[in-house]
Amino acid sequence: MYINGVIELRYVKLPKENTYEFLERLKEWGVLYAPVKISEKFYDFREIDDVRKIEFKYNRTIMPPKKFFFLPKEKIFEFSISKAEYNEAIENVEPFIVFGVHACDIFGLKIMDTIYLDELPDKYYKVRREKGIIIGISCVPDEHCFCNLRETDFADNGFDLFLHELPDGWLVRVGTPTGHRIVDKNIKLFEEVTTQDVCEFREFENKKNQMFKYHEDWGNLRYLLEMEMEHPMWDEQSELCLACGNCNLTCPTCRCYEVQDIPNLDGDTGARIRRWDSCQLRSHGLVAGNHNFRPTKKSRFMNRYLCKNSYNEKLGISYCVGCGRCTYFCPAEISFVENLRTILGLKDDSCPPEVAEEMPKRGFAYSSSMGGEE
Amino acid sequence: MSEKVRVGFYALTSCYGCQLQMAMMDEILHLLDKAEIECWFMVERNSDEDREVDIAFIEGSVSTQEEIELVKKIREKARIVIAVGSCAVHGGVQSWDKDKEFNELWKTVYGDAHVKFEPKMAEPVEKYIKVDYKLYGCPPEKKDFLYALGTLLIGSWPEDIDYPVCVECRLRGNPCILIEKGEPCLGPITTAGCDARCPSYGIACIGCRGAVRDVAWFDSLALEFKKKGLTKEEILERMKIFNAYNPKLEEMVSKIFEEGE
Ligand code: SF4
Ligand code: SF4
Ligand code: SF4
Ligand code: SF4
Ligand code: SF4
Ligand code: SF4
Repeated sequence: MYINGVIELRYVKLPKENTYEFLERLKEWGVLYAPVKISEKFYDFREIDDVRKIEFKYNRTIMPPKKFFFLPKEKIFEFSISKAEYNEAIENVEPFIVFGVHACDIFGLKIMDTIYLDELPDKYYKVRREKGIIIGISCVPDEHCFCNLRETDFADNGFDLFLHELPDGWLVRVGTPTGHRIVDKNIKLFEEVTTQDVCEFREFENKKNQMFKYHEDWGNLRYLLEMEMEHPMWDEQSELCLACGNCNLTCPTCRCYEVQDIPNLDGDTGARIRRWDSCQLRSHGLVAGNHNFRPTKKSRFMNRYLCKNSYNEKLGISYCVGCGRCTYFCPAEISFVENLRTILGLKDDSCPPEVAEEMPKRGFAYSSSMGGEE
Repeated sequence: MSEKVRVGFYALTSCYGCQLQMAMMDEILHLLDKAEIECWFMVERNSDEDREVDIAFIEGSVSTQEEIELVKKIREKARIVIAVGSCAVHGGVQSWDKDKEFNELWKTVYGDAHVKFEPKMAEPVEKYIKVDYKLYGCPPEKKDFLYALGTLLIGSWPEDIDYPVCVECRLRGNPCILIEKGEPCLGPITTAGCDARCPSYGIACIGCRGAVRDVAWFDSLALEFKKKGLTKEEILERMKIFNAYNPKLEEMVSKIFEEGE
């Protein structure tokens, strides 16, 4: 199975009738999480007791799978001022399985890895990442999906197993030694992949590709965003924005957090906690001396667009993986995709005569001059 | 800290829910080593409003002439003044109809009864004195009280909450009832800290913690509510329950309706 340390992908078939049995057996590997319906329209990954409650055809979860590794809120250490010491609060993480992750979200996790495993190693993230088993599942786009434009519609790695839907079961790709072990241990549930299955797989993928709302070239998006800082879209759309933070808090690749020290009443001990942050909030750009380098709603609104469309050098993709959450879960009904298409000149009203007077001198990620009047 | 911190808890016109919330906390016992309670009628018989304190907690809205004098006195005798709860911070629910004729309101509530004090429209404490820190909510959260006090006890300054309820709603993984059911949830404009209590039960937030600082976008939310079919009056009525004193509310909501479609 191993050739010079590279894991050979392996393909097996899980017949439909064995699906629930397989899911049940997954629980032997740890706590099982999978998408379930949490309300009329929304889904989320939740702990699974009854495997029949799992949704195989969901559009997107309200919380991205990063929530298992980078917790929405967690205690990072406890401190004592008199003893001048602190104790990290890394809990003992038990193995767990996240079943049913879509390709875009697998890329989302890969992006999180480039930050919290490589760039700014984070032990809280790492310990959970090591214990988490990822099982992907194929999907078809709804009107908000644009992973095709982000090249995140098909994951080659970043999963232990990936289940592709077939008319009579699943074509399973095995991606890691853990994936191999899971299949081997349950080998009786699997069959060999037939030529027919390969045809069905190909057809599914072709159909998926055709289902995307847009097939267009976004290659020059980052250039245009830099040059269109004065575009009227920014004023119009940021005016609608509630600054509620939902777009960041549902995004699979937002990684900012806010920390707070919570002292106890003994005047000595306490704990430092962190929670997901959003750059749409006032305090995100607040620095010492009460200076805010993103003082207006508009500048904060723009920041997300610039951050999400910047490039992750390591993976060669943008930080936005096209999952559609920031639009789908925006209470103000602001469409991220349509706004980007305005900038790209793919909508009628997209070409004002004037170009931004001041071109940014450095990459837009550093642009501090974005602004407007509060 | 060797010397004990002197604490006072004062009540203006309110339901006493805030005090009760604080007084019922087990944690308050830990405080007794660190603090001297100079004035808190609910828990300390030997209370005196005239003593100097380091931290003064004020509950209730300023609703009588006597209370105006009282808050001024507290300010003079306290190093730090903390407004506790919606009444003290924003004027409370009793300010909801503040734009109506006062005599009319008075009649509705008290009829022709005679009272011993000189009444006036309920107002936030900040209207009369400088407030150093605010504990939002109706009633406020125990954890906010503990956080503020704990932070002051280690000689640091507590952070203000400057983000909306939606943030906590998302962190809890709730569905969004504004999007899904078109409920007029005030989460986007309301100060967080309650862990999105109401939306977690599927109930729209009515904004009891008050509008979030200068980042409550009444206009954008009014537009969204308008799209969902609410009238200007309905929107104002709802947003004013706990924000009647907000100087920007009316103007921002009106703007949306002037602009037309
Ligand atoms: S964005 Fe792409 S990968 Fe993600 S759910 Fe939609 S179709 Fe699937
Ligand atoms: S979710 Fe929508 S309204 Fe909320 S901050 Fe993001 S863009 Fe603004
Ligand atoms: S800066 Fe904003 S868009 Fe970028 S990762 Fe942080 S929260 Fe997300
Ligand atoms: S920016 Fe929006 S579409 Fe892109 S990954 Fe984040 S939530 Fe998904
Ligand atoms: S339910 Fe209310 S508080 Fe929760 S995200 Fe929606 S608007 Fe915000
Ligand atoms: S959700 Fe809104 S109404 Fe409910 S407790 Fe929180 S701030 Fe108050």
